[in-house]
Amino acid sequence: MTEALAAGVGVEVLEQFESEAQQRRAGILGMWSWLLTELLLFAGLFLIAVVLRVQYPDSVHQAVAHLKFWIGATNTAILIVSSLTMSTAIELSRLGHQRLMVRAMLATVALGTAFILLKSYEYYVDYVEHMTPFLNRPFELADDRPATLFVNLYWVTTALHAFHLITGVTILVIMALQARAEGYLRRHQNRIEIYGLYWHFIDLIWIMVFPILYVIGR
Amino acid sequence: MTTTAYRDTAVPHGTIDAPDDYLHVTHTLRSWLLTTDHKRIGILYLIAITGFFIIGAIAAGLVRLALVVPDGSIFTNDTYNKLFTIHGVVMVWFFLIPSIPATFGNFLLPIMIGTKDLAFPRLNLLSWYIFMSGALFAMAAVVAGGIDTGWTFYAPFSTTYSNGYVILALVGVIVVGFSSILTGLNFVVTVHTMRAPGMTWFRMPIFVWTIYATSLIFLLATPVITIALILLVMERAFQIGIFDPALGGDPVLFEHLFWFYSHPAVYIMVLPGMGVISEIVPAFSQKRIFGYKFIAYATIALATITFFVWGHHMFVNGQSEYASMSFSFLSFAVAVPSAVKVYNWTATIHKGDLRLDTPMLYAMGYIGLFVLGGLTGLFLATLAIDEHVHDTYYVVAHFHYIMVGGTMLAFLGGLHYWWPKFTGRMYNEAWGRVSALLLFVGFNVTFFPQFLLGYLGMPRRYHVYPPEFQLLNILSSAGATILAVGYIFPMVYLLWSLWFGKRAPDNPWDAKGLEWMTTSPPPLHNFKTPPVVDFEPYDYALKVPERD
Amino acid sequence: MNGIGNPLDIWPAAASASAVESDMLILAFTAVILLLTVPIFLAITYFAFRYRQGVAADRTHSEARSNLIELSWMIIPFVLTLFFFFWGARMFDAHRHAPPGAMQIDAIGRQWMWKFQYPGGQSEINDLHVPIGQPVVLRMISQDVIHALYIPALRIQMDVLPGRYTDMWFKADKPGSYHLFCSEYCGTDHSVMGGTLTIMAPADYQDWLSHAGSDTTLGAAGEVLFSSYGCAGCHKGDSTVRAPSLVGLYGKPVPLEAGGTVEADDQFIRDKILTPDKTRIAGYKQVMPSFKGIIAEDDLLRLIAYIKASGQKTGRADDHHSLP
Repeated sequence: MTEALAAGVGVEVLEQFESEAQQRRAGILGMWSWLLTELLLFAGLFLIAVVLRVQYPDSVHQAVAHLKFWIGATNTAILIVSSLTMSTAIELSRLGHQRLMVRAMLATVALGTAFILLKSYEYYVDYVEHMTPFLNRPFELADDRPATLFVNLYWVTTALHAFHLITGVTILVIMALQARAEGYLRRHQNRIEIYGLYWHFIDLIWIMVFPILYVIGR
Repeated sequence: MTTTAYRDTAVPHGTIDAPDDYLHVTHTLRSWLLTTDHKRIGILYLIAITGFFIIGAIAAGLVRLALVVPDGSIFTNDTYNKLFTIHGVVMVWFFLIPSIPATFGNFLLPIMIGTKDLAFPRLNLLSWYIFMSGALFAMAAVVAGGIDTGWTFYAPFSTTYSNGYVILALVGVIVVGFSSILTGLNFVVTVHTMRAPGMTWFRMPIFVWTIYATSLIFLLATPVITIALILLVMERAFQIGIFDPALGGDPVLFEHLFWFYSHPAVYIMVLPGMGVISEIVPAFSQKRIFGYKFIAYATIALATITFFVWGHHMFVNGQSEYASMSFSFLSFAVAVPSAVKVYNWTATIHKGDLRLDTPMLYAMGYIGLFVLGGLTGLFLATLAIDEHVHDTYYVVAHFHYIMVGGTMLAFLGGLHYWWPKFTGRMYNEAWGRVSALLLFVGFNVTFFPQFLLGYLGMPRRYHVYPPEFQLLNILSSAGATILAVGYIFPMVYLLWSLWFGKRAPDNPWDAKGLEWMTTSPPPLHNFKTPPVVDFEPYDYALKVPERD
Repeated sequence: MNGIGNPLDIWPAAASASAVESDMLILAFTAVILLLTVPIFLAITYFAFRYRQGVAADRTHSEARSNLIELSWMIIPFVLTLFFFFWGARMFDAHRHAPPGAMQIDAIGRQWMWKFQYPGGQSEINDLHVPIGQPVVLRMISQDVIHALYIPALRIQMDVLPGRYTDMWFKADKPGSYHLFCSEYCGTDHSVMGGTLTIMAPADYQDWLSHAGSDTTLGAAGEVLFSSYGCAGCHKGDSTVRAPSLVGLYGKPVPLEAGGTVEADDQFIRDKILTPDKTRIAGYKQVMPSFKGIIAEDDLLRLIAYIKASGQKTGRADDHHSLP
């Protein structure tokens, strides 16, 4: 750890580790490894979307025109702000301001929830507009196969991302509840750091999803 | 340095159980199912994969039974297809991939690098539960009525035309993938951060190197098959139009995504076996391993090259001619690090002090069969030969030489080698040697005829075949019965040894390595006192020429 | 003559010069491999006896590691085997390019049968007849899942994909009957999706063709379809709709709306019929409807044969499309 920690902030060393530094290093490396696999998971979808764009620019243009750009843009802004609140929580945890940290975490939860609500609304509008080629309902671009696939990919990708976000919000709520306990930062400060990596990663994925699906070729 | 440096010398070995060894600290079923001890989790995997092996082996036996007659009169074509699919899916995903990494890797990796446990013990237990729930889905698919896609799940057959419970089986495989990822992650972090003082990278046993390389493949390749299979499920459930050409998709895209994972998966199965052999050969030659660094580098080289050869499964599917040539060339390059290992093992045996005990017999069998399997792989990488033998029994024989002749023999060799350490009991040596020999003979009788069948032109996954192939098929099926006996023997005498075997000393083979410096079985935290490593790997005594 | 083997065979019959070369390749490769591996097997066996515990032997060795030894057993075998990589790649390359003037036979795979269409309009199920000495190119497509056409006696196979043509060519030189198989797993009756390849002397082949029964050539059948599917309504010269004439189109570059050109080959014509929106032709409005699900694979091949022949009528008479 390069960042200086305030007095009374630290990690209760688990049985299998020899030192706090070792435990921190293991936790961070573990989360990075996990995020690497997550990135590869999404990379497959991104690759297919990009190939579709290159091969069938017209079809993709038609499909992209039907996506709700402003909802996507607002959601991007929401997630960027949530990254800021999460970073604040991490910084506060290092300084030992436990109560303030919990509030920053709850702010992050609120922003994450706002994203999910807005996304649900977007899905609802998509449904009403029959932007659901995978269901047995009429779909405007049904004859245009690449456009259909692109819209289906939109659903798979955003649903996979939403799943990650819902998981992330759930974990964050549990952590925020635990972190109200006296002495949490003395025992588990590393959890905030490790979780922060995950939250930033979800934001990063969305920041890639947004241009690849919504923006380019609009 | 004595071999008992890290055991409590107050407890005389060979007389009573060390009271706190990992098997005896607690006894309840609950203490096993909720354990976070890497050793117990290794044993849980061992029990689970043995069960899956039996299921896969029964399916294989029925496949061989069906092929005794050429007209397919024993089962219906549909039943036959389901049988070979069960065999493939279960053996690949529920036996071979977790076999050595999840059992021996779990049990031995922390001990071999001198630490108390893996970095994330609870995650490790979670991996086992994820593995079992994935297996539950796959077994549910089998019980519900089976699947007939083959383990390769090629689209558009799997997405549109198959009538089986494809989604259920796919979900099982996807879930198991997460178990692999989490196990690999745990191993990578453990090797990076948990090594004992003095345990530098080049003091790690080759087994640890191979498990580390395997874990990297788990991390880098598994997500690709996960997303490919998720898209396959979506295609089957919602016709999203990605793989089925009738919906505008491209079935060859699935082949690419599938083999981008499944070729590296071959190395998930092969590398740990090489690691096991690299432990057994020096121990039973009482000699330092020849070319340690070359073997370590060759391990990493194999784990790297394996990501660039997936296209050699698709020489005849219409992929670009020049892509095929590149993949062919890169596949030839795989032979280099593989040859490094084989030549170094041979050089290790040279001038050794050889004991031909059961593990060593398995290891020598492994070297022979792996060489044959590897070199027939070189034939398959040759474009003009692949055009003939692709998707024939030649391929079936080739990968069984690698998977059964290679991985399975290494697994059994390792199981015998470390059995005293796992259980604290010795098995019956005579029975061990007999079954090693039976397996070797049975294996060759089963699979060598399949090379001939393949070159004669018998396609794989054929239930009905031309009558002139019957003789070789009967020979192969006869070999399978010998093979079956060779599998049943160890199951019986190893189990028997748990209750009636002699107590095992700490180091029955006079082998080097941290796992032999602790008690058999090891205590809960592996060592009485945390080890400090001040010796090189495989530090068997040198017999220096006298004139020096 | 019968090329189908008997139970004591350990080597398959070879019915083409290329098959014989394949055999030579694998035999020569095997010889080199044996040269590299037999010493290992002998050494391990010898060491197992020589250095067995309790046997008196010179066991002195030093820790010195020879990098030269390591490098030599890395590089020498690799270089030796590379020769076979080049040999295999050269043959593979030759197998990808059919000689000009090869006779085209269409192959359509579907669960679980093969259909072959000859230039003269004849067609067969699961049986393929070819003359010796004549290069034959099989143009293959699947109606459903992936299949693969495999002819062991010729040492060749090729996947048969849905939605995309693949080619496989050969020049048979030994009359007889041989197996043909589907080698890519395709479902329940995969293992019975096979048939017989009959290789015949040219005169016998002509005789067989004339008895195989067909009034019209493939191209002529295509011409009938060209009218019955309504293609002629727009693509004939005197049509009211402005659509390109297809006479002489085959093999020519077609300018695209997005710039560049594409060669009008079988795949292009097929795609243009089934998914006309996919590629837009420069100078024409895209008004053509899709015929996906309307025209079956065998009829598509007949239409392509017609379009191909329509160009050749103005030039040299096409010998194989005018066979009886």
